[in-house]
Order: sequence, then structure tokens, then C-alpha cells
Amino acid sequence: MNISRTLSMTVIALAVMAGCSTTPSPNARLDEARSNYRMAQDDPQTRDMASAEMRQASDALNKANDAWTRNESPAEVDHLAYLTKQRVLVAQEVARQKNAELAVTQADAARDKLRLEARTNEADTAQRSAEASQRQAASAQRQAAASQGQAEVSRQQADAAKQQADAALARSSQLEAQLRDLNAKKTDRGLVVTLGDVLFDTNQAQLKSGGVRSVEKLGLFLKQYPQRRALVEGFTDSVGSEGTNQDLSARRADAVRAALVNLGVSGDRIATQGYGEAYPVAGNDSAGGRQMNRRVEIVLSAEDGSIAPR
Amino acid sequence: MNIYPTPSFYCSIARLGGPALAVSAAILIAACASTPPPTDQLAVSTAAVASAVGAGGSQFAAADLKTARDKLDRANVAMTAKDYELARSLAQEAQVDARLAEARANSAKAQKAADELEEGRRVLREEMDRKTK
Repeated sequence: MNISRTLSMTVIALAVMAGCSTTPSPNARLDEARSNYRMAQDDPQTRDMASAEMRQASDALNKANDAWTRNESPAEVDHLAYLTKQRVLVAQEVARQKNAELAVTQADAARDKLRLEARTNEADTAQRSAEASQRQAASAQRQAAASQGQAEVSRQQADAAKQQADAALARSSQLEAQLRDLNAKKTDRGLVVTLGDVLFDTNQAQLKSGGVRSVEKLGLFLKQYPQRRALVEGFTDSVGSEGTNQDLSARRADAVRAALVNLGVSGDRIATQGYGEAYPVAGNDSAGGRQMNRRVEIVLSAEDGSIAPR
Repeated sequence: MNIYPTPSFYCSIARLGGPALAVSAAILIAACASTPPPTDQLAVSTAAVASAVGAGGSQFAAADLKTARDKLDRANVAMTAKDYELARSLAQEAQVDARLAEARANSAKAQKAADELEEGRRVLREEMDRKTK
């Protein structure tokens, strides 16, 4: 077998030399594969994010280059160039995939950040709104307190006014009651209280107990209304002489005045006048008429103290 | 360096034709007959195609997947015809084609997710801008 082996080896050597002696003819597919690989390698994204796949592409390219250098068949070189080309495309797709996944991760983070920002904004807005509401509430409270204070003052004022009104009403009704009590009659000269004849003894100027009581009421009235003055006027019937009647009427008026002064009414508020038979109020021809004429009239002034003359 | 060239070397030369053809004819037959059947390669390629299908290659990289399937079918035919060199070559190409289909499907899915998220972010930003006005 030695000869055949030597023969084999010689043939092989010749074949090898035949293959190696010529420079390999350019292969378009291999050139394309080389160019694609170079472009992918120059792209940092592909290089960095698909490094394992680029290594596979590099291995495939080496195999293709070796085949070409060894002058293997164009079909084989084409085949290996094709494998290289596909491997480069795989690397580029993997880089794209990882980029998109990174973007998703970043988008998640960005979305979370945005959500946080949105929530923070909402919280801030809610806080500011709450603070504003608080301030409004505090201001409203202060206003309410102020209004309350004012309302209190107004109420007090109203109460005081009411009290005054009540007092005035009470006084006026009291006045009316008193005047009714006194049997005061309204005339154009003012209020007139008439003390009848029965309050004096016949032809006497001294007040009897009934008369005293009437004068007491009068006195109370005058003390209660210090502005008012009184004019005490005495009258008689026509029986007896004019002089005597004049004297009697004046003395009765004085008696009433004295009684009032005795009660504490200041004397300068009381004037007296005797009119005797003058100004009868009834006919003197009947007993009843004459009794009516025998009287003392007390004219009560208006509130300012004025009394119109007869 | 191995002084015995690979069987493919002999096969290539045979195809190339040329002066060495007649000389190496005898060697050629012996050499090509010794190419083992690429059973492992075919298994790898079949798995690669299945993987590409699983990644959504039918939807996102239909053309590459079809190419891979076609080559795998042709590789199986070559296997049956005992043309192991062709079978190996086709199976290798089917494998990278399937790998490319898978990579395209994955990147398409990731891009879709990224686009959807970007859209969501844009909508959220618009809402926020409206609220703060």
C-alpha cells in the first residue's frame, strides 16, 4: 500500500497546489457579507446590544473567508456568505429588540415618574385648595364672630330701646290710669280734675278725708311728672254774698294747695285762684245744680308746664 | 495545519471541474461517500423552525419562516436521496433563516410594546397638561 499511498498523496498535493496557486476570484456575495458585517460592527448599538450574535456572525464570516481563500467552490463560498449575511441580520434584529425592551423599561419608569408627578400635582392642588378653604373658613368664622358681636350689640340696643319703649308705655298707661283715677277731664285748657263739694264741709275750707285722698292722688301725679304744674281754681254756688263766696272759693283753693305742698309737691308749681260765683257749670236754681257749682278745679298743665288762661 | 483537506474540499473541486477532475475522480467518489448524514444538523434546524413558530414567526416574520420551512423540506428530500452534502447545506441555511424569523418576531413584539407604552405616556402627558391649565 505504500505506492498507492504515495500516489494518493501526490495527487492530493497537486490538487492542493492547483487550488492554492490561483488567487481566488472575487465573490460578490462574500463582498456583500463582509460589507454588511462591517456596517453592523461600526454601529455601536448593534455591537453592544447584540455582541453574542455578532460573534456568531464573525465566526460565519471567518469560515466564509477561509473557504474563499482556499478556493473552495463558489457555491460553497456563496453558501457561507449567505449564512454570514443572515447572522448579521439576526444581530441587528436582536439589537432592535433589546432597544425596544429598554424603551419599555424606561417608559415604565417614565410613566411611573409621570404618575407620581401627576399625583404630586394633585396632592399639591388639593393641599392648596384645602388651605384656601381653611383660610376662607377662618375668615368666615371671624366674620361670623364679628357679626355675632354686632348682633349682640344690636340686640342690646334693641333691648334697651324696648325697655325704654316699655317704660314709656308703662308710664303713659300709668299716666292714663292715674288720670282715669283722678277723673281728669280733657279740656282745651288741659286736663282738669274736679273736686266736688262733698270733699269739703259746708261753708268750710277744710278738706275732708275723701278730699285728702283725692289730693294725695293728685300729689303723686304731680311728683311723678315734675314738669307739670297745677292751677287750683275754687268756685261756689250763688247762695250768699259775692264777697263771702269769693273768699270761700279762694280759701278752698288754698287748702288744696297746702295739702299738695304738704305731700311734697313744690309750691312754685301750684297756683291758686278763687272765682266765687263766677263760671257756674250748672243752673243755681236746683239743689243738684248748686252742688255741682260748689267745686274746686285743678287744671293740670301740659308737659311743658303751660296753662292757657280761662 | 491539516494536510488532509476536508471531504467538502474534494466535493468542491469535483464541482468546479478543471484539470484535476479526472485525477481526483477516484478520490472524489471515496471522499463524497464518506460525508456522514447530517442528522444532528437536521435536528437542530427542525428545532430552530419550531422555536421560530413559537416566537410568533408566522405573524411577524412570515417570509423568513416560509424560506426556512422550504429549505428544511428540501434538506429532508436530499437526505432521503442520500445527498448529504446538499442536505447539510440546506439544513444549515434553514437554521439561520429560522433564527432570523425568530429574531424578527421578537423585535416586532418588543417594538409593539414600546409603541403602545409611548402612546400611553403621550395620552397621560396630554391629560396632565389639561388638568394643570
